[in-house]
Amino acid sequence: MRENELEMELKDRLSLIETMIAEGRRTTSSWGWTFVFWGVAYYVAIGWTAYNQWPFAWLVTMMGAWVVCSAIIWNKKKSQPQRRPGTTIGRAISSIWFAMGVSMALLFPALGFSGHFNWHIFVAILAAMMGVANGASGMLLRWKAQIASAIVWWVASVAACFGTDNQCMAVFVAAIFFCQIVFGVYGMILESRERRQEANHA
Amino acid sequence: MPELPELNPVIHGKLRLALLSLLVGVEEAEFTWLRAKTGSTDGNLGAQLLKLEEAGYVAVEKKFVQRKPQSLYRITEGGRAALTEYIHALRELLGGAME
Repeated sequence: MRENELEMELKDRLSLIETMIAEGRRTTSSWGWTFVFWGVAYYVAIGWTAYNQWPFAWLVTMMGAWVVCSAIIWNKKKSQPQRRPGTTIGRAISSIWFAMGVSMALLFPALGFSGHFNWHIFVAILAAMMGVANGASGMLLRWKAQIASAIVWWVASVAACFGTDNQCMAVFVAAIFFCQIVFGVYGMILESRERRQEANHA
Repeated sequence: MPELPELNPVIHGKLRLALLSLLVGVEEAEFTWLRAKTGSTDGNLGAQLLKLEEAGYVAVEKKFVQRKPQSLYRITEGGRAALTEYIHALRELLGGAME
């Protein structure tokens, strides 16, 4: 009888460890909206460029989007009742996206100012970088939907090297729709479900 | 008969075990986050964290953010090793109990 009680207590301790480790690693931070936000920003830049061919339309839209996105993130963090602790995986993922953003912010204006810019190169590089960031994040999180998103970006990157400018743009618009808008909305649905579960759990 | 391992008494306490397990998954955590996750009272949580700190299993950094005091806890290398050792011992004991 006493041996049984001891075994139960030891199993209880093991289960407590597993539950708490999972609880600590559980991240309920919401990033789905950023995919939708940047998808819309890309569409605005594409539309603006198509409307009046202004060469700085992309640069201005992306800089504006970056300022608005940073302000929203800062405001969200400020309004949180308690700061969520960072995890190593979270930091790894943030680093990947930040490094990708810096690469884009340096490379694309440089291509434009040096006169080497063309839509095929732009879409191919942007899609390849998005493929890297989504692929790495998806593999770290073991999230198949994000890996699928990376594959769409990689296919778009290769496809952008062929065909006319209009076909290249069509590929880009389609990739944005699936990988930013659809994937972002899917992420937001999952996050809201997770938040509901956490509220019930609390 | 092989000798069964002893369980580390500092870690064996339920709340202290929960705290170390929570801290092993994050880089650092605020006192309020630990309180919310464990559902413990301020007094009990503070006392258990102090025991872990005295054993060298957690490190604390106290600072002021927007004039409010903030205590940030993180697991130390010693704490990580002790928790790993504890889990091994637990599994060994469970293996022995099941035989």
